[in-house]
Amino acid sequence: MNAMHSTELISQFLCERLGASPESVVPGALLADLGVDSLMLAELLFEAEDRLGISVSAPMTTPKSVGDIVSLIDSLRAAQVVAS
Amino acid sequence: MIPRRVAITGLGLVSPYGDGVEGFLEHLLAGRSAVRFLQSDDKPKPLAMPFVSCGGFDAMATLGKPLASMMERFAHLGVAAAFDAWHNAGLDRTPSDVEERDDWACIWGTALGGIMAFEKGYRDMWQNGRERLSPLGVVMGMNNAVNAHLSIQLALGGVSMSHTVACASSSVAIGEAFRRVRSGEATVVISGGSDATQTYGVARAWEAMRLVAPGDEQTAPSACRPFAADRRGLVLGEGGAALVLEDWDHAIARGARIQGEIVGYGASCDRSHLVRPDPQGQSRALRSALRDSGLTPDDIDYVNAHGTATQEGDPVEIEALKRVFGDRAPALPVSATKSMHGHLLGAAGAIEAVATVLALREQAIPPTAHLSGRLDSACEGVDHVYEGRRNVPMRAALSNSFAFGGSNAVLVFAAPPSH
Repeated sequence: MNAMHSTELISQFLCERLGASPESVVPGALLADLGVDSLMLAELLFEAEDRLGISVSAPMTTPKSVGDIVSLIDSLRAAQVVAS
Repeated sequence: MIPRRVAITGLGLVSPYGDGVEGFLEHLLAGRSAVRFLQSDDKPKPLAMPFVSCGGFDAMATLGKPLASMMERFAHLGVAAAFDAWHNAGLDRTPSDVEERDDWACIWGTALGGIMAFEKGYRDMWQNGRERLSPLGVVMGMNNAVNAHLSIQLALGGVSMSHTVACASSSVAIGEAFRRVRSGEATVVISGGSDATQTYGVARAWEAMRLVAPGDEQTAPSACRPFAADRRGLVLGEGGAALVLEDWDHAIARGARIQGEIVGYGASCDRSHLVRPDPQGQSRALRSALRDSGLTPDDIDYVNAHGTATQEGDPVEIEALKRVFGDRAPALPVSATKSMHGHLLGAAGAIEAVATVLALREQAIPPTAHLSGRLDSACEGVDHVYEGRRNVPMRAALSNSFAFGGSNAVLVFAAPPSH
């Protein structure tokens, strides 16, 4: 399993692609406030799949905050560990 | 409905010279070429050709990361040029009253559109072994990306559309935009064009047609020589150019600076061959544009020629001008600014429209660079401007765009009121 922390990946994505400041990427921050719309969310999940080796299958509850998406990715990673 | 006058209140560019609209004209008037020798690191075989690049343009810095991340290069170039024109027109990005913009529109031109996004996808799959592609590839690659972003960013509630007519794309877009303002359907339209011609497959295909001028580090700046006996072909260039077309009374009411007027547009098809131009078809577009403007050949004081520097195209354009202008032709000033800024394909009409409006505004004609002492006898019959800038009183000017597929478009501009 990829050792990269989910928060690290999300922070990198938001800073590099959307120009967010690292200190703004906290669990309570709303994705919409950071410039993440549905298209950018799809791109973020795509990158998470690519880099963390997880698979996000639809339908899913749309994450609203940084904390939501960290939880989503962590749960998928945990499920992947169990499955393997 | 009474036809409206259509003012040009904003001009914008992503310029290959690295500066803005005002600097652009100065470079052209000085006969300064932006063509440089390009050597890419592409595989399997690097590009090596004269090219015009907007290398100093930083899309992330200009547009901001959130917006720029949603686009590829043709949209970067187009949206940045349009924002420049919007600012130049003295308009706010965010309106105080959004309903005022319910009929404001965006009509854009591009020949290649988002082809670079798809080429990247193909490379990722077939060269780099990736099995999946970014979901953003779809919206990055769509040909209407520029007008879609602009309509959202500028709160334009009227039509949002793009025209793809090869090298006439943005002239057609500007012409169609003009008609919508003149008819009263739209109060303000942002129009223009952009293309990212450095796309590997595109550049290779143009090279294969043997239409791209050869050159090296030393000779690249003078590689594009329209109307010259020793012309060897066109030079591809990338860029974006935009104009704000506005209902005249609306422009006056808000105290806008009127930089010029668009007074006519004509279009035609050669209906004969995919790539061999036809003077008869081009003449139809020229006559149609003059008729549309209500002007006569004697009223036209300058023609910004299509002038790509291909063997076949240049004499045909001169022949078409001679047919339409008759006895006036020998005294008709003509120049081809592609000799300096290259051929921007779908953005060619827009950058040349900007050059023409600026020439009228400043009453100074830019030359065809690299033509002195080289004029092809097959291109004689008009007054070629090639010895630096020419300061002359001008009332009206044409900008020609003649495309593969036989599509022809001619725009007619008039000098602003102070002239």
